[in-house]
Amino acid sequence: MVRKPPVYRNRIELLQGTLDLLILQTLQWGPRHGYGISQAIRAGSGDVLRADTGSLYPALHRLERAKWIAAEWKKSENQQRVKVYRLTAAGRKQLLSERSRWEQLVQAMGGVLGHEPS
Amino acid sequence: MSHRDRRLREEIESHLRMAICDRMERGESAAEAEANARREFGNQGLVEEVTREMWSWIWLEQLWRDVRYGLRGMRRNPGFTAVAVLALALGIGANSAIFTAVDAILLRPLGYRDPERLVVILNHGRGPVAPANFVDWKAQSRSFDNMGAAEYWTPDFTGSDRPEKLWALRVSADVLPLLGVPPALGRFFTPAEDQPGHEFEAVLAYSLWQRQFGGDKDVLGRRIQLDNRNYTVVGVMPAGFRFAPFWATHAELWAPLALGPRASKRGGNSLRVFARLKADVTLEQARAEFSAITAGLERQYPGTNRDQRIVPLKEKVVGDIRPALLTLLCAVGFVLLIACANVAHMLLARAAARTHEVAVRAALGAGRSRLVRQFVAESLTMAMLSGAVGLLLACWGVRAMVRFGPAGIPRLETLTLDWRVAGVTLAVSLATGIVFGLAPALHASGLDSAEGLKEGGRSSSGAARQRVRGLLVISEFALSLMLLIGAGLMLRSFVALQAIDPGFRPDHLLTMVLSVGGSQEAASGRAQEFYQSALERVRGIPGVASAGMTNHLPIAGDLWGFPFWIDGRPVPHPGEEPGGAFRLALPGYLETMKIPILGGRGFEAGDTAAAPGVVVINEYMAQRYWPGENAIGKRITLDSPSSSKLPAWLTVVGITKNAVRSDWAAPPEEEFFLPYLQHPETMGHYMTLVVRTKRDPAAMAPAVESAIWQIDRNVTISEVQTMNAVVEGANAEARFNMALLAVFAAVATVLSAVGIGGVMSYAAQRRRREIGIRLALGARRAEILQLITGEGMVLALCGTSAGIAGALALARLMAKLLYGVPPVDLLTFITVPLLLTTVALAACLVPAFRAARISPVAALRQE
Repeated sequence: MVRKPPVYRNRIELLQGTLDLLILQTLQWGPRHGYGISQAIRAGSGDVLRADTGSLYPALHRLERAKWIAAEWKKSENQQRVKVYRLTAAGRKQLLSERSRWEQLVQAMGGVLGHEPS
Repeated sequence: MSHRDRRLREEIESHLRMAICDRMERGESAAEAEANARREFGNQGLVEEVTREMWSWIWLEQLWRDVRYGLRGMRRNPGFTAVAVLALALGIGANSAIFTAVDAILLRPLGYRDPERLVVILNHGRGPVAPANFVDWKAQSRSFDNMGAAEYWTPDFTGSDRPEKLWALRVSADVLPLLGVPPALGRFFTPAEDQPGHEFEAVLAYSLWQRQFGGDKDVLGRRIQLDNRNYTVVGVMPAGFRFAPFWATHAELWAPLALGPRASKRGGNSLRVFARLKADVTLEQARAEFSAITAGLERQYPGTNRDQRIVPLKEKVVGDIRPALLTLLCAVGFVLLIACANVAHMLLARAAARTHEVAVRAALGAGRSRLVRQFVAESLTMAMLSGAVGLLLACWGVRAMVRFGPAGIPRLETLTLDWRVAGVTLAVSLATGIVFGLAPALHASGLDSAEGLKEGGRSSSGAARQRVRGLLVISEFALSLMLLIGAGLMLRSFVALQAIDPGFRPDHLLTMVLSVGGSQEAASGRAQEFYQSALERVRGIPGVASAGMTNHLPIAGDLWGFPFWIDGRPVPHPGEEPGGAFRLALPGYLETMKIPILGGRGFEAGDTAAAPGVVVINEYMAQRYWPGENAIGKRITLDSPSSSKLPAWLTVVGITKNAVRSDWAAPPEEEFFLPYLQHPETMGHYMTLVVRTKRDPAAMAPAVESAIWQIDRNVTISEVQTMNAVVEGANAEARFNMALLAVFAAVATVLSAVGIGGVMSYAAQRRRREIGIRLALGARRAEILQLITGEGMVLALCGTSAGIAGALALARLMAKLLYGVPPVDLLTFITVPLLLTTVALAACLVPAFRAARISPVAALRQE
């Protein structure tokens, strides 16, 4: 008998536009590689949010192109080459503005949803 | 594989390795870990692909997405989109077509060197001048580099497989060189060849060279036969060269003028004088010098040099057509403005409907520039679509203008769609798209997202937008009214033109020019016999009711004027003697044309050279020179009393009703008819045959032609046309202008109606809740109807009033195009606004009825 992994039950699709914010936020605590970022988002959300690689890598490269993050090739613990991303100064500013936008959205959504009779 | 691609693959593989390591640490087997990691990762190729796109095609990709998004939005709203696209397309198409015409006809320089320095000298600024005057002006003036004269000539071209009657000009040796266009082959005439006895040289037009000689380079030196004389080809002009530009525009051959003894004649006006201003002489200086010269000549030879005018050549070419083209240009400009206004309506309406959507997207992290770009991409998509359809319409329009345009418009046949012009119009529509796409985008993306979300699109900015739309509707109505009044005035003047009684019956008349110049009938004395026997044969054809001949048809033919002197009246000062148009006729002409004879008789077979001279005059001439008397029996002569010759007196034997002479709408002037048989020497080598048929006249043409060719195969027949076609041609320009203006006005009216309908239905939508409350509180549906309709009618009436003011200005511009109707025509200025107001009312009633049908419960419960 195959047991369905329970984590899939509570997964929520990432809202469009929020992945950038999550990546920037994750990199705030130090440089990470792509796999590390996806693991951090998964762990940070208690397994609820998962960054699909088909979105994650385009997003990473887009952010790199926008110069909000910078990339560097390093040797990992087991002596393998990995690409490591870190937050730039511009990325830090972007993070702040995306955070405040997000807070606005949460507030606004709350305002709207708050009117619903429950 | 590029460096970046290799790096990307390496990055993804390191991701997988790390995932596999993690899984193995959690206790999965190596194979299991790899399979699971790969499954979790997903399609590696796809991930690589979408990631790669981030670097290379991001901009294009987004643009494409925006375009697709725009198309999707347009599909959601197909009716409105179709109208907006079609409107814009019509605006672009009509503008490109008419701009092309204006550019080709009015703006593009004539095809000569420094054409702005070329002038033409004409009697009263219109008619030809006398040879002696030309010779004196040329000798006395200092303002010109060069001066030459040209005379119309229609020789028979024979001696080739295809004899034909040609349009040609006899030109003095200076004319062709002063135009500054070198011949493609050969040379021009020398002054020595411009002398009687040496004038047998010809320069061919490119088209004639191609047609008769197949473009043969050895054509130089070839002998050709013109009116039975041998001419030598000395030159060929380049393709596209035409001269003269405003008259005799079909000329395909130029031969020396060789004035000879005519150079001393101060009568027989037949020359158009062309000159090139010296580089340092202005038009005003030349005119001042010229009026001094003519004043001197007038003192020397009274009555010969009055009102001789220098007119810039370009002015002469385009002067008559300018008001019509400028009116049409205004009209298409209005159509484009109205179309843009309609598109603006659509974009504003959509922006309003999407305030909510934009706020959500902004909140989810869509950048301001991204949103703006999307809005603009959407409106640009629509503008581009319209542009494509519009260019198609423009191509058709230009082709239709060349095909159906009136024959008298100069340079019309040279028309091809000008891509610069189309580009300019396209740019205008793109600008419309950007402006009306950008404004709402900037506004919406600048909105505080919380506000946008909370208000669900019903923000205060909606009212401002509605005001803009109101203004747009007002301007649409103003412009439409101007167009409709323009079209109305043209229609009224067209009806007036149609109502003119030409003085003859144009139906069932077949006409053709018979030219004997290339046949043995040209020998002296034989032509009249030929014409008479031709008439006999034609009358014998079954289906022919009657036949006659004249030198020149009214309207289509040339108009020859001649002075005359009245028996027993004091001889007037030279230049002040009465004159009139004269036509030569063979018996049967007046009867065939059905020109009514009011008194006396027409011509009879007995009016020959042996019988006393007779003349038939028109009513106008009879009343002007014999007011209160019976003109019949009075005598006139065409021989000047100053000449030594004894005057040959002509007795007035009949009076005809006034008939149109050459200008369809011109008031009547003196006209008299002379029997051809008494003046055969006056005519050249041709006459115009007029046949009244019992059946369709056009179908009779082959029978008539073969009857004539049975007498002599070398007689050329040209200008075969029905008189109805001639009359239609006379009114073609008015018909063309009216048709175009009517189409533009109709398009404008429909667009305005759609515009006001759209605005009112949007207004009704916005006020749904209010209407619901009103209904719930007991308002009757008729009141709701009134509420919505009234609001729309205020806009329509504002627009109409503004339009009347504009139409008064437009009517003044059109004054020259109108006939028989004053520019401020009360009938038009009253009925057209009423018509437009009715259309507006109908357009408002649709959304009003819809609003009145709202269920109050549903309206209040909504949101």
